[in-house]
Amino acid sequence: MTLIMVVDDDQDLAEMLGIVLTGSGFEVDLVNAGDQVMTIFDSHEPDLVLLDVMLPGMSGIEVCKIIREKSMVPIVMLSAKGDSYDVVKGLEAGADDYVVKPFNPSELVARVKVRLRRSSNESSTTLRICDIVIDQVAHTIIRSGKTIPLTRLEFDLLVALAREPGRVFTRDALLSEVWGYQHAADTRLVNVHVQRLRAKVEEDADNPQVVLTVRGVGYKAGTSQA
Amino acid sequence: MIRLGVRWRSSILFRVISTTFILSLILISLVGSILFIQISNEIFREKTNESVSEAQSLYEYAQGQLDATLYLTSLKLPTVVNRILQASDLTVATTPREVVLIGSPILHKANSFYNGASGNVDETSISNTLRAQVRKSGGAEWLRGKIAFKDGHTQRAIIVGHAIEVPPRSPYELYYVFLLTDQQTIVDFIGRLLLFAGALLILLIGGISWYVIRQAINPVREAAEIAEQLTAGDLNRRIHVVGQDEMARLAISFNEMALSMQQQISRLENLSRLQQRFVSDVSHELRTPLTTIRMASDVIANAKEKMEPAVARSAELLQSQIARFESLLTDLLEVSRFDASASILELKETDIKNLVIATIDQLHIGHLGQIHTDFSEAPVTASVDPRRIERVLRNLISNAIDHSEGKAIEILIRQSEREVAVGVRDHGVGFTERESERLFDRFWRADPSRSRLRGGTGLGLSISLDDAKLHQGTLKAWGAPGKGANFVLTVPKAPGIPIEGEPIPVNPNSDQASTSFLSFDEDDI
Repeated sequence: MTLIMVVDDDQDLAEMLGIVLTGSGFEVDLVNAGDQVMTIFDSHEPDLVLLDVMLPGMSGIEVCKIIREKSMVPIVMLSAKGDSYDVVKGLEAGADDYVVKPFNPSELVARVKVRLRRSSNESSTTLRICDIVIDQVAHTIIRSGKTIPLTRLEFDLLVALAREPGRVFTRDALLSEVWGYQHAADTRLVNVHVQRLRAKVEEDADNPQVVLTVRGVGYKAGTSQA
Repeated sequence: MIRLGVRWRSSILFRVISTTFILSLILISLVGSILFIQISNEIFREKTNESVSEAQSLYEYAQGQLDATLYLTSLKLPTVVNRILQASDLTVATTPREVVLIGSPILHKANSFYNGASGNVDETSISNTLRAQVRKSGGAEWLRGKIAFKDGHTQRAIIVGHAIEVPPRSPYELYYVFLLTDQQTIVDFIGRLLLFAGALLILLIGGISWYVIRQAINPVREAAEIAEQLTAGDLNRRIHVVGQDEMARLAISFNEMALSMQQQISRLENLSRLQQRFVSDVSHELRTPLTTIRMASDVIANAKEKMEPAVARSAELLQSQIARFESLLTDLLEVSRFDASASILELKETDIKNLVIATIDQLHIGHLGQIHTDFSEAPVTASVDPRRIERVLRNLISNAIDHSEGKAIEILIRQSEREVAVGVRDHGVGFTERESERLFDRFWRADPSRSRLRGGTGLGLSISLDDAKLHQGTLKAWGAPGKGANFVLTVPKAPGIPIEGEPIPVNPNSDQASTSFLSFDEDDI
């Protein structure tokens, strides 16, 4: 069973989320305060965290940072302020995606499922991008013998780019491919996660070689060096 | 001249100075002239008196001498006449004078052989009026005027005339000409002095009035400048108060006015900020419970089959009303963002035609046969925020459907070099001119009893107008009762360029609008 940890201070909403998610076949842990998250997280090891941005005790952004320090688990934020600063803060802190209240329950379930899925067209091929080797079976990336830890989303993002080395991906294309959005969505998702990915895989984040920006269009994979 | 006219109207200083200048010029000229005339008259009157009495004694002596020739044979007439002419000429030391002796016109010209004049005086320049007076009264007639000399030059002089009898009984006229050279010099000098003094006075008066008026006007000017700055929004500007005079009082009350205005404005600003915050907070706070309610209603709705019909219908109603509540909340949030000026344009090069087609498609209603489109052949792209433009289009089209009464709806796209316009025209109920004024007001509905077919929030047009304005575009409406309505959205193709033209006139009765409409069917999408 897939375990989802729901962190929301509004008990009724948390309970409702529990009902909806349980109805969709997930197992649910409900947490009402930010400072209780880590104890439960450590003991239960959830497969995904649904995290409200506004939490008493410890803000969702703080919680997000702490989880990211020790885990690559997918994190989806629940936000009451769709366009606010908080969303970007949360994404920068390591959240993979967010949904804005009031959300459609089926949309929430869809988002959760996208984040939990294994890449559907997973193949056994090993991809290369610059001096990085991507092992799609082991789900790891290795540079000069060292494994670089990536979240699943970051891994998907890198694989999407590496699979078609010559192609320039628009932000919308990446949103559809990696985040599973069918309609136009928040392009800041792409921007923030490219930054996070670069911080991990680039040797010099200010002068990226792996994920290249194509001005006015989007991103593409860097060419392999000899 | 026009520039002077403008200055006359626009500058008190200019007006007062020129008035002062002209008035003092007139006054001083008047006073100066009177003074000048009085002084010169006085100078000349004294000289005249002197001259008349001197002429009298000279005449008496001359007449005596002439009469004496009758008794004293030793005196020859020509010698005496000569002496009269010469003596008058020579004896004088103090005042220069000339003598003229002319025979009366009754004497035959040939008989007037004693005619003569001293100096170079041209005897014909003695006026006939004077001569007639002299002949009539016999003596001591005088005239102040010009006397001519034979070399052509003239001089001012007093001419005193007497009738004189040259023996034997020939009537002659004797004129003494007293030249006014000295007096004239004095009078000229006084004239120049007066002119100079007058000019100086005018300049002084002008200068003084300029200075005085500036003193009075400068504070007014300063006040006007400060008032302009206040109007421009710099509410911290105040007039510098000097002294305790009327101007200072004006400045103080002006400053008080500015202060109270500033307080009032900031109070209102605060109020409106508070209110905006309140709307925003309320909208945010409502979101969490709404989320729970929505999820609950979804769960309930999913179990519909197991419910009794009335309960199932209630669940449906619950769900649709929650959706309506949600869109109202979204609109409210949007409005509060506009009010807080927190709306940001996310510009993107957009194909307007595609956007319109997609919007019609999204409304996916059984109205496609009702909608006719007329798009220009050329591609229409503009740098806009597609989310906002789509929202405007959605509003306009669904409004048109709501009010069309099933009649045709026409959608036009036109472009000019700088702007793109989309027109949505229906032939339904329309609205009156009075209603059109309130059309864009929040929560205003033309007819509250109208069925809310699309469940609009009442904020649609207000948000659409704000969206258009955010693009520096316009959203205009035309309508007539029973004839339908026309809404035209015009936005610049590139941001920052204010729109100039109207690719689609908002009034469909103007000529340009007569275009054919293509039928719009689903294959086009």
